[in-house]
Amino acid sequence: MTILSTPSPPPSHPAETRRDHSLTRAAGKVLARRAAQAVGVTLAVTITCFVIVQNLPGDIAFRIAAGRYGYDKVDASTAAEVRADVNLDAPAWQQLGGWILDALRLDFGTSLVTGASVTDELALHLTATLQLAAVALVLSVAGGLLLGLLAAQNRGGAVDRLTDAWVSLVRALPPFILGLVLIIVFSVQLGWVPAAGHGERGNIVLPAITLAVGLSGLFARVTRDAVAQVLESGHVHFARTKGLARHVVLARHVIRNAGVTLVSYIGVQVLILVEGVVVVESLFAWPGLGHALVHAVFWRDIPAMQATVLALALIVVVVSTLVDLAVLALDPRTREAQ
Amino acid sequence: MTIELLDVRVTHQGRALVDVPQLSLEPGRAVTLVGESGSGKSLLAHALMGSLPSSLQVQGLVSFGGERTPLQDAAARRKLWGHQLALLPQEPVLALDPTMRVDRQVAEGHPGFLRGRRGRLAALKEAGNRLAGLGLHGVQGAYPHTLSGGMAQRVAFAAATIGGAEVLIADEPSKGLDPVARDALAQLLSRHVEQGGSLLTITHDLDLARALDGELLVMHQAGIVEQGPARQVLAAPTHPWTRRLLEAEPGRWDPAWRNPAPETGAAVPLIEARGLAKAFGGRTLFSDLDVSISPGERLALTGPSGCGKTTLGGILLRLVDPDAGEVNHHAELAGGRLQKLYQDPAVAFPARVPISAGLRDVVRRHNVSPERVPLLMDRLRLGHSLLDRRPGEVSGGELQRLATIRAMLLNPLVVFADEPTSRLDLLTQQETVNCLMEQVAEQDAALVLVTHDVGLAAAVADRHLSLEEAVPVASGRDAIAPQGSR
Repeated sequence: MTILSTPSPPPSHPAETRRDHSLTRAAGKVLARRAAQAVGVTLAVTITCFVIVQNLPGDIAFRIAAGRYGYDKVDASTAAEVRADVNLDAPAWQQLGGWILDALRLDFGTSLVTGASVTDELALHLTATLQLAAVALVLSVAGGLLLGLLAAQNRGGAVDRLTDAWVSLVRALPPFILGLVLIIVFSVQLGWVPAAGHGERGNIVLPAITLAVGLSGLFARVTRDAVAQVLESGHVHFARTKGLARHVVLARHVIRNAGVTLVSYIGVQVLILVEGVVVVESLFAWPGLGHALVHAVFWRDIPAMQATVLALALIVVVVSTLVDLAVLALDPRTREAQ
Repeated sequence: MTIELLDVRVTHQGRALVDVPQLSLEPGRAVTLVGESGSGKSLLAHALMGSLPSSLQVQGLVSFGGERTPLQDAAARRKLWGHQLALLPQEPVLALDPTMRVDRQVAEGHPGFLRGRRGRLAALKEAGNRLAGLGLHGVQGAYPHTLSGGMAQRVAFAAATIGGAEVLIADEPSKGLDPVARDALAQLLSRHVEQGGSLLTITHDLDLARALDGELLVMHQAGIVEQGPARQVLAAPTHPWTRRLLEAEPGRWDPAWRNPAPETGAAVPLIEARGLAKAFGGRTLFSDLDVSISPGERLALTGPSGCGKTTLGGILLRLVDPDAGEVNHHAELAGGRLQKLYQDPAVAFPARVPISAGLRDVVRRHNVSPERVPLLMDRLRLGHSLLDRRPGEVSGGELQRLATIRAMLLNPLVVFADEPTSRLDLLTQQETVNCLMEQVAEQDAALVLVTHDVGLAAAVADRHLSLEEAVPVASGRDAIAPQGSR
């Protein structure tokens, strides 16, 4: 075997400090790169979004007026009023520039429809989305990882086949049907939890379960394959012949190695959770970001939309950064590549 | 404690893979099993270890100092793992957890490691001592990917033996090691024996068997065909199979394809490199190096692991950029007339596609006559049915020959072979190299062979370029003069 190069023997100060150095250095580089990315993403998303809204069919003032007063009361005069009120006649670059300058001061303006502060509304939606995503994630990771781990231990066994069936079932089931079934069973029939809404006790249970069920299948499958692959590896066999018991090998070698794959995968799913759950949010009247974005686009509530899109874009950057850092911590080989 | 295996039979669907009536391991004695791939030698070791795949059936008895248990009872032997029975794995680089520092991996085999904080600290301390004792000062906290193959092998040795097992089974321990690392390994194994341990080594490396110098058993087709003191068996083999094995060592080859009178380069070189320099990970691999490859010549790039042979090869192929210097390819090399064979042919074929598809693509892309594929299959002594299989379903030697066919379809002017046989046993190596060289001679292609096997280099090449151990840039010594071309 030809190894490209033998690195110089590491200096002989204690291992702990050396480990921390390489990790800190690599983490610093990741943070710097991701910070630059955040700036770029912010600009790109803000401008693209603004351009798209300007070019959507239909008159913006009419849509905003309809949002404010209802369709029945919209006519040319209310539209003209709105146009003057929100200064829609100003050149597009002035509107965009103004928004960016305000956003730099963390002033996202007021909603064109409700007149409320966009910052306050965004905080509400963001909190709601993160809450829902967090609970759904914890449930699905706990269930999926456990199932996948058990399935991988005994491939072809009962748990493995059960996992297969579970994955097929929950992936084939559209979330809105699952959500409706859960509402009918647990809310209408049993009356254990409220059907929909936000702010009451137990509101989060059904939307979180709806999301978690679908995800748990994916996590179970990916965990099973990742763990199975690590179990087949030479270092796991060697660890066993050192005399270590099965569960010790699992804890010391298998989980961390499989974790490298899993962390990246979970990161992608978190993003889908945050961004792609409009259906579930709508079904359960959950005031999340996706829900807010759909409404803002519908009523051409430009400041609210810009702020929501920006929040979503930055969440992508933050989650990707967290995944990068977790992988760096788990797998030393990635540190040198930084 | 003497260990005795009696009437061992390992079968797969009724077919005997191992059939050995008796084998004993005694303290202070090295036992070495040699044979080609598929002779059953590795299965015999795993039968003793109790780590056979569950698809295989095993019969027979094992006696530990007189106490007999059936070989089927693998669970009984699993209880001995680490403290009485230890395995030194093949491919140590793969046997170490890439995400864990090496001293932890060594320490976890210590009996005290899982017994509280004090036991753990004691185990780590002992691991550090053992690693230092093997010449691995200062790498305790290193991760495996920063080690050379030889260093990884020593770490694996420390990890396998820290549990104090008397019986050590080494499964192809020298696979992929260069001669220096192999000799160091042989010393470690011999030391285990001198300290009163017993040793069973499975290998196809006759040099390792010579260095261990204990009892030698030659395996062929599931059975042991010859046994005796290693020196005697290797010097005066009685069984025809043993003789064939010995004749497969590159030093004894007398092939028809050998270049009778190598040309002395009047021709325009196909590849010409001047003033090459490359540093890697803070080490100078080489500097101010000139290399030229003329039509039809056979050049070997040799040197220990980590000296930069493969990197130099990459630079000559213009796959890697040098730090300084330039590489010129003759215009005739365009259009795929420079071909590379990889150390692990499996990486050069798509895993889930039949081999025939990959060959067909080459035929189509380069307008090669399709009849040449079956023709070459015959010439390289490969059954045509292999084409329908996937890369994982043929042996390593066969896959390397298929890779040779793919390269030869293009009538290459230069064939670049990067350790093409370092993972193969001696007989398979001989067969594979014969097939390659017959084609090289027939098409009058130039050959560049990268290898750490000096014997193979001598058997194949007319000209040798040897790289020395890489030196740290900081040490100030400027690198590596290429040692004289002949």
